[in-house]
Amino acid sequence: MDSRVHLDNISMKFGDFTAVHPLDLDIQSGEFFSFLGPSGCGKTTLLNIVSGFLEPTTGSISIGNEPMGAVPANKRPTSMIFQNLALFPLMSVAENIEFGLEVRGVSKAERRKVSDRLLELVDLPHSGQYRIDDLSGGQKQRVAIARALAVEPKVLLLDEPLSALDLKLRQHMRTELKEIQRRTEITFIYITHDQGEALTMSDRVAVMSAGRLQQVDTPIELYRKPKTAFVAEFVGENNRLPGKVVAVDGDQVLVDCGAAGQFRGQLGGQLEPGQPCGLYVRPESLKAATDQDTNRLDVSVETVNFEGAHLTLETRHAQLTSMVHVQADQRAYGGQVEQGANLSLGFKTEETVVLPEDGPLETIHD
Amino acid sequence: MIKQLTARFGGPMTLVVLLLLWFWLIVLVLLPQLIMIDYSFKPNLIPSQLGGPEDVYTLGNYQTLVGNDIHRTIFFKTIWSSILVTLLTLMVSYPVAYFLAQLATAKQVMLIALLLVIPYWINEILRTFSWYLILSFQGPLNALLLGMGFIDRPIRFLSGDGGVLIGMVYAYILFMVFPLYNAIESLDNNQVRAARNLGAGLIRIHWRIVIPHAKPGIATGCIMVFMLAAGSYAVPALLGSPGSRWFTQIIYNWFFEGGNWNMGAAYAFVLLILCIGFIAAIMKVFRIGLGDIGK
Repeated sequence: MDSRVHLDNISMKFGDFTAVHPLDLDIQSGEFFSFLGPSGCGKTTLLNIVSGFLEPTTGSISIGNEPMGAVPANKRPTSMIFQNLALFPLMSVAENIEFGLEVRGVSKAERRKVSDRLLELVDLPHSGQYRIDDLSGGQKQRVAIARALAVEPKVLLLDEPLSALDLKLRQHMRTELKEIQRRTEITFIYITHDQGEALTMSDRVAVMSAGRLQQVDTPIELYRKPKTAFVAEFVGENNRLPGKVVAVDGDQVLVDCGAAGQFRGQLGGQLEPGQPCGLYVRPESLKAATDQDTNRLDVSVETVNFEGAHLTLETRHAQLTSMVHVQADQRAYGGQVEQGANLSLGFKTEETVVLPEDGPLETIHD
Repeated sequence: MIKQLTARFGGPMTLVVLLLLWFWLIVLVLLPQLIMIDYSFKPNLIPSQLGGPEDVYTLGNYQTLVGNDIHRTIFFKTIWSSILVTLLTLMVSYPVAYFLAQLATAKQVMLIALLLVIPYWINEILRTFSWYLILSFQGPLNALLLGMGFIDRPIRFLSGDGGVLIGMVYAYILFMVFPLYNAIESLDNNQVRAARNLGAGLIRIHWRIVIPHAKPGIATGCIMVFMLAAGSYAVPALLGSPGSRWFTQIIYNWFFEGGNWNMGAAYAFVLLILCIGFIAAIMKVFRIGLGDIGK
């Protein structure tokens, strides 16, 4: 089944407000693709454009090579799981799941077969006769998934479907969603502001901010090689040291961070000597310095948090205003770090990314 | 409950409230009804005969209604026409209520609600008279239709039941729109979107999602409009033709022209029973309880 989704020059304006700036995007057949961004970044707007609830201001969409321009929302090969699930409370579980088939004129017996099979798939066998209100949050979630799958969509659209669940259930449903996606081979387009969800489940993630795609990449690449300051700060924990480019040498940059010293990192964007930039190091990349380290930073420990497997330290360099977060194995530093202790931290060039500063924040009105 | 009230308002205040409540319930509601029921089972006597040998309970008044072909026909016609008014009002009000509750902007809601309410600032008789003018043989509606070429000779709207139906639908639209609006407004718009996303067209979305959700509102509106229609006097009196008399007009005649209160009370009591029966039937059909109607 060809279920590629192709967005061509899609943009969306509401009056003066530009929710989505023109963008192109190809989502592969059977891919688990996430849009990740803070609320108001335009990700839900994009989802509504794909589902047909919104008409884009410019551009066109095709699903499986078929243009969707003239196809109304109720005829598209997409199926949506809503943030509040939007199950039909006056219908039974089975009736909910079968609704899409009822619309398509499938016979009652045939419908029952499908809903029974789907209830098995989502691990809720023999619960077709229940009322929606009798179900727990997680069960409702599964019914919503089954209802969306019943119409055999090419593309499943998920609008933060896990946000209403508690933490444990959320983590469990992540695995399950991924598993269902693997079994059904449907293209999943997942909207979330929760990077944990996006990183654990997705094949690729599009990070969005202020109506623009910041970076489209695999979760690992996003984490290791952010291409913009926004991505570096939004995805995962990161320490940012502000500085100025001293020299660019191939894919490496030498950065002068004033009183903190000079450091070497990977070039993450377009940079010229003298340009202000940000140097990004992940908390887990900061280790006790050894003789081999070219990047060294002396800090004093302000807070120690024991979190079981690891320690997180909040440390400060004497001349830097912002905290430096360090994450260490609990056995590191001899298992003992105390408040006020002085540490010499070292970090590798290949685990350090240097990025240009983001332009001034987009004003909401263009 | 009395304990709670006493705890909250103190003994004397509670007593006053309860007394007022009972006064309202017994003296103002129950007693007049009981007197009318009592009247309805007694023959119409001149004062000197009261308490005499003829002052006995009898079913005579009710037998008159059963035995009188014309009155019986008018009774059933009133039921039928009231049902028709109710259905017409529902059909007219549903799209308006849906638009107001789900599609309109706050500004549009204000404007339309205002337009709906303004006519009610005018007395019902005057409103009905204005329809009398609009619908009359040489009135503006006929002139408009003639002018636009839809008809080649004026229509007698006011002969037959047409005028009464139009007048009543117009008079009771608010009593249908507001319960419907309340019910539909509480529908999560995502339900409609979900149905649409699953492939449902306009009619199915309404039939399977919106209308089931709006059931209590529909029931409330239908009950109100039916009772107002069945008990209406002004509209049929003004817009009705001689052939479209309403049961209320007969009751009126017994009271004020026939001077026979006993007969009128019997007829009125039958109408009351009819209305209660209608409420019960609607509640049964829509499978809702009394509590849902209050919502």
